[in-house]
Amino acid sequence: MDAGLSVAARRSGRRLRRRVALLTLPSWAMLAALFAVPIVVGVYLSTRSDKIGAFVPGRGVGLDNYRRDVFDSSFVGALATTLIITFIGLAIQLPVGIGLAMLLHRNLRGTRLFRTALLLPMLLTPVAVGLMWRFMLDADLGVINWLLDEVGLSRIGWLGEKWAARVAVALVDSWQSIPFVMLMTLAALAALPEAPLEAARVDGATSWRVFRHVTLPMLRPVLYVTLMIRVVDSLKLFDIIFILTRGAPGKATETVGLLTYNTGFNFLETGRAAALGVATAIVTLPIYVMWLRAQRRTA
Amino acid sequence: MSRANGSRAGRVGAYVLLVLAVVAALFPLFWTFSTSIKNRIASFSIPPRFVNFTPTLKNYRKLFATDSFWHVVWNTVFITVTSTVISVAVGTLAAYALARHRRFPGRRPFEATLVLVRALPGVVLIVPIYQLATRLGVYDNQWALILIYATINLPFAVWLMTGFIDQIPAEVEESARTDGASGLKLFAFVVFPLASPGIVATSIFVALLSWNEFLIPVLLAGEASKTLPVYISGFISARTLDWGPMAAASALAIIPIAVFTALIQRRLVTGLSSGAVKE
Repeated sequence: MDAGLSVAARRSGRRLRRRVALLTLPSWAMLAALFAVPIVVGVYLSTRSDKIGAFVPGRGVGLDNYRRDVFDSSFVGALATTLIITFIGLAIQLPVGIGLAMLLHRNLRGTRLFRTALLLPMLLTPVAVGLMWRFMLDADLGVINWLLDEVGLSRIGWLGEKWAARVAVALVDSWQSIPFVMLMTLAALAALPEAPLEAARVDGATSWRVFRHVTLPMLRPVLYVTLMIRVVDSLKLFDIIFILTRGAPGKATETVGLLTYNTGFNFLETGRAAALGVATAIVTLPIYVMWLRAQRRTA
Repeated sequence: MSRANGSRAGRVGAYVLLVLAVVAALFPLFWTFSTSIKNRIASFSIPPRFVNFTPTLKNYRKLFATDSFWHVVWNTVFITVTSTVISVAVGTLAAYALARHRRFPGRRPFEATLVLVRALPGVVLIVPIYQLATRLGVYDNQWALILIYATINLPFAVWLMTGFIDQIPAEVEESARTDGASGLKLFAFVVFPLASPGIVATSIFVALLSWNEFLIPVLLAGEASKTLPVYISGFISARTLDWGPMAAASALAIIPIAVFTALIQRRLVTGLSSGAVKE
């Protein structure tokens, strides 16, 4: 009797689960048509020589596009540029974001107002942000160089010089993403147990030592996830660079995204751009796997 | 950083740093608005004019007088709203499954796919999407943009809604079920009303992403379906930079964002960190 019931219950449980799975069906349909299909088509195109507007249809060229663009200098160069800009950006975003979170966490009067004001940059249209910073960073008429002049520093050819342009791009990206680092840290700080902090303070540790040896180690899991997302988003970064420099001067700020876009839509080399896209995806994969693992761990 | 926690000097130091940070965060906004109400000469003057200029609405008037601008605004609103509705509707169904059932067929691959959509750079898709759109005759078509936006924003919709549905006690549904409600009825009269604050917050967040999207429309939108970010980027043409109207257009793109974020201030924090941590 009991066993019979449980068989029936299990069967109805399975039927229920199958019906539950139906709820994800619309999502699956969209993901298949608008995400999976383009990826498959992208891989296919990457093995062909198609060009936009060419009279002769493209033909299959095997792995030639990869040989030519990915393993020769252009992709590797763009990847290096991407990593350089990512690294400069992280060096700005992490300390500033964590620092601001520590300040807000003290819960001084007016904290909510400060928090809202500090969050705003990450919500704004990146294209508008890029344009405004381009105006502010203008070498002759920009307000930033005027300020540098006023305080007695030398003017900088922000968007016209190799390293200045890289720093400028990282700076504007940081301006928009510091709030994210701040938010993540703030959430983590709120969830920290008080006991270890109290203990350290009672033992007479200075604030800096408490932060360095107690708070920071406890924040590590969250900072790991934050770092991962920031790296992913740096690889995705497109609109701000597109507006600020479009890869200039020379190729100083040409990231993998810009390179792919330029190859496909300035030089109209569909096949080669598709190969660059696939290469970009492959570069992203290890971080994707790390992200999945981190998500499973918190589940 | 939090040295001398609680001491007067420490508190003053903290305020000074916070105020400096707020100035850095808000100055570009202030500069956008002030440039948008300056005439050409005032906008280029050195030293910069922070307050000592005669405000003018010329830039806005110039913008409002062009038909293409209104067309662009309408496009952006229509595409944003429609894609948000689709994304949140489809995402809410999936979120219900994720929040209420630990196990169902395809759960793990589904979650993995959502992370992939979030993590993969858009440039991976631009070439095939452009080719498919032109072959299928939907280049410069609003619906193509709407469906693509809805798909790339789907992870956010699902993650946010999963969190919100999680917060609705399952007992409410249980009791409704014993009262005879089931299936669609349960969804429409029990789950939906309880989840509606979450749906509003999710919609606003997803709408924000759609409103700001640039890569897809710069690729697929011609004159007929052009959106505001693409329109604004069009101001960097050749050598002549017309900062006034450009700042005005930027300001108009930013205003709705400021208004809507004020509306969901508290839930915003959840939205902004979604996908980073599972609810």
